[in-house]
Amino acid sequence: CLIHFYKRKMRVLALLFLAPLFLGACLAQKKVLVLLENVAVKETHSLYFSMLQRNGFTLTYKVADDPSITLKKYGEHIYDNIIVFAPTVEEFGGSLSAEAMMDFVDNGGNLLVTAGSVTGDVLREIASESGFEVDEDGTYVIDHHNFDTKDGGYHTRVISDAQNMVKSDLIVGTGKLPLLYEGTGLLTDPSNPLVMDILTGSSTAYTHNPSLPIKEYPHTVGKATVMIAGLQARNNARIVFSGSLEFFSDEFFQAEVDTGNGKLVPSGNFELAEALSLWCFKERGVLRVDGIQHSRVGEGSAPEFYTIREMVQFYIDVKEKVNGEWVPFKPTDMQLEFVRIDPFVRSTMHVAKSELIGTTFKIPDVYGVYQFKVNYQRLGLTRISTSTQVSVRPLRHNQYERFIVSAYPYYASAFSMMFGVFVFAFVFLYHSDETKKKTE
Amino acid sequence: MSTSSVKTVVNKFLDEYTNNTPKKLKIIDAYLTYIFITGVIQFVYCCLVGTFPFNAFLSGFISCVASFILGVCLRLQVNPANKSEFSGISPERGFADFIFAHVILHLIVVNFLG
Repeated sequence: CLIHFYKRKMRVLALLFLAPLFLGACLAQKKVLVLLENVAVKETHSLYFSMLQRNGFTLTYKVADDPSITLKKYGEHIYDNIIVFAPTVEEFGGSLSAEAMMDFVDNGGNLLVTAGSVTGDVLREIASESGFEVDEDGTYVIDHHNFDTKDGGYHTRVISDAQNMVKSDLIVGTGKLPLLYEGTGLLTDPSNPLVMDILTGSSTAYTHNPSLPIKEYPHTVGKATVMIAGLQARNNARIVFSGSLEFFSDEFFQAEVDTGNGKLVPSGNFELAEALSLWCFKERGVLRVDGIQHSRVGEGSAPEFYTIREMVQFYIDVKEKVNGEWVPFKPTDMQLEFVRIDPFVRSTMHVAKSELIGTTFKIPDVYGVYQFKVNYQRLGLTRISTSTQVSVRPLRHNQYERFIVSAYPYYASAFSMMFGVFVFAFVFLYHSDETKKKTE
Repeated sequence: MSTSSVKTVVNKFLDEYTNNTPKKLKIIDAYLTYIFITGVIQFVYCCLVGTFPFNAFLSGFISCVASFILGVCLRLQVNPANKSEFSGISPERGFADFIFAHVILHLIVVNFLG
């Protein structure tokens, strides 16, 4: 009886010990460091932070120049994501700096940064490392045709229509409501393939200091006025840079927007902020490759080598993170390349057995060392890049065609030569010399 | 005038050939024309059809060419008019060499024919 009691206690204790480990694993991707301008920001942006906590993130709040900020402990990064809601900070506290931030991104961490009309140098440095440029101090995005009537008359609280967002549901969600914005503009380089303009102004927007007369062309005009910019780095780390801290504030989330025809519409800021944060912190639009299988058609496992002109089947298991779970990803445009320096075969994969996608093709008539390459880059999704090396051998000496019909004349001539020599030898040796008899 | 002289030369050559050539050499000449015709047929066939099994074409054609050369060599050695040039070698020895060379030739030809 006692033994049973102790056994049950051991099981409960074991569960108690294991549970935190399990929880820890679940929360592995969700530790966020929030750097605030001042403690008041926590209250003015309470809806945003409670939304994050609802989505499972653990937030650690620190004021931006707090000297006790550390990103690394024993060489490992403590946080997975960093939010910077401190536009005017000149230097971060503790061991944090622009290089420490970029090192954090290089190691796979995600950043969400907001600037403002007055932006500190360290944020400008982070922006330029990420491929954007923040406009000068004192500038605002101004739009004289789409502004909220509640601003101070300078038309700096602008409204941007939902169609000025980047065309990707994964990044911005499916909201159609107009967005309220008050802050500076960003410049992005259109030739940078990694940068995306997540929210731009409408065609009538521009950036300038509202209290100074305009003497030269504004730095950004029209649709090139970027309000929120994003970057997906080559290691799939994501950076979202917003020119406005107020965009995420409770006031803007709950504001009602006058779209111009007198009707008041709630602002779409909350939906966009939620979608953007989930995308930035790798909860949406994340793919991973779970496995690759390749073999000859009809066989189950990969052979040691292939031979030219064989039929090959290739399958790849790709999973997408949806609501925290990895579900099979079924694209219609993922291609497989069979590459030996240059691609010899490029085949679009289709949904195959169970949850895999794959394709079947014929190995070309050229032998060598090939790679099965899958490169998949789409807006809003993490990049997939895998390659598997295989060797393709030429035909063995007994794998060639044996009796080729078009070569029958040559076979016939060779054997007729042999036969001819045989007959000639007999005739030559055993012919009777008539001329000899004649002379005799 | 020139045509008639070519005709007379050709006729004289044919007469001399039929009357003054030993039978042995005539047999060899017949054998050589057979080889020649076979080779020409192969070559024309290759020009028409293309060189797909190139090794087979080479094998057959080289077999004809080499047999022709060996036949010519045998004719040279066996011709009684050349006896002074082959003083140490009897015609039988020449024939034996011919057969030996043919054995090697056909071995190689069949190997390459594949």
